[in-house]
Amino acid sequence: MEERNQENLRELFEKFFDAEQAESCLDDIQKAEQILREHPAPEPDDTLIANIKAEIAMRLQAKRARHFRQVFYEVMGAAAAIIFIAAVSLQLFVEKDAPKPGEVVYASLIPAAIWDSDDITTADEDLAVFTAQIEQIEDEVITLQSSEKAGNGDSTLAELEMELMEINSDFWKG
Amino acid sequence: MTKSYELARIIAGCKGGDAQCYSQIVDIYSSRCYGYFYRLTGNSDISDELLSELFVKLVEKIGSYKGGSFESWLFKIASNIFHDHLRSKQRRKKLIETQIIEFESETIGPKKSDGELTDKLQIQLARLDEDTRELIMLRFYSQLGFKEIAQMRSEPIGTTLAKTHRALKKLREFMEG
Repeated sequence: MEERNQENLRELFEKFFDAEQAESCLDDIQKAEQILREHPAPEPDDTLIANIKAEIAMRLQAKRARHFRQVFYEVMGAAAAIIFIAAVSLQLFVEKDAPKPGEVVYASLIPAAIWDSDDITTADEDLAVFTAQIEQIEDEVITLQSSEKAGNGDSTLAELEMELMEINSDFWKG
Repeated sequence: MTKSYELARIIAGCKGGDAQCYSQIVDIYSSRCYGYFYRLTGNSDISDELLSELFVKLVEKIGSYKGGSFESWLFKIASNIFHDHLRSKQRRKKLIETQIIEFESETIGPKKSDGELTDKLQIQLARLDEDTRELIMLRFYSQLGFKEIAQMRSEPIGTTLAKTHRALKKLREFMEG
């Protein structure tokens, strides 16, 4: 142990003792440290050092794997959050445009022939009759749905749907 | 002694998880740290264990090293490991107190058994109290200045100086006596 850190011991001791005492302290310390240098401790075994290095390499590998797992979980968590937010947003937008329960979308029920017809007067009359019938059915559907919530009527609803289909086909038969 | 910029490069490598840099740290400090543990315990098997523990702790704690004296930081961990060892030894001792009393009555002073190599210095060191012995070894093996040792031990520098002086003087008297 030949190297010692550079500090001025004399100056340090003189802060606490007079010059003579400081000199004596310095002498005591230097002689005692010389004894320590003359009696070196044994060196660590080479096998021990090799084992320590192997252990460190193993720990580093485990640390890296742990770090990779942590990053993976963080990325997965972020991805899941993004997907969730996207799904919720999409649902909100889709629901905004979708018809409310019980609301009949007229345009989807009106046959394409009415839209394509050039005879405006006839088409208007047909449309008025057709719209009136749809409104009537719509009222019945709403009534049925409210009574369905109260506990009855799958068959009634089916009958009504049949009626709607019949009206639709009769309309085109003339 | 490793130049400070070279040591800084090695420590940066350790922080980056470079096994080669850890290997260099082991090469630089293993001898001094082993000497520190050996002179405090007087037992090569225990010193082997404590040295291994120190470098494993180094891998775990390297992120907490924020600059300053690396020796001071490393020997602070070494000192904590030694104190943990003492505490666990005390617990074990309490458990088998009756057998130990019987055993100690037969042999007084340092013993030579189970990896315990005894030299004159080790015998005389055993006559000093634990705190004094640790102070001497910290000063000798860490190569830290009194200012840093005082900071490490959370005591005024004057106290550290006086204690070290008294301890080394006593050790010198024991060795020459």
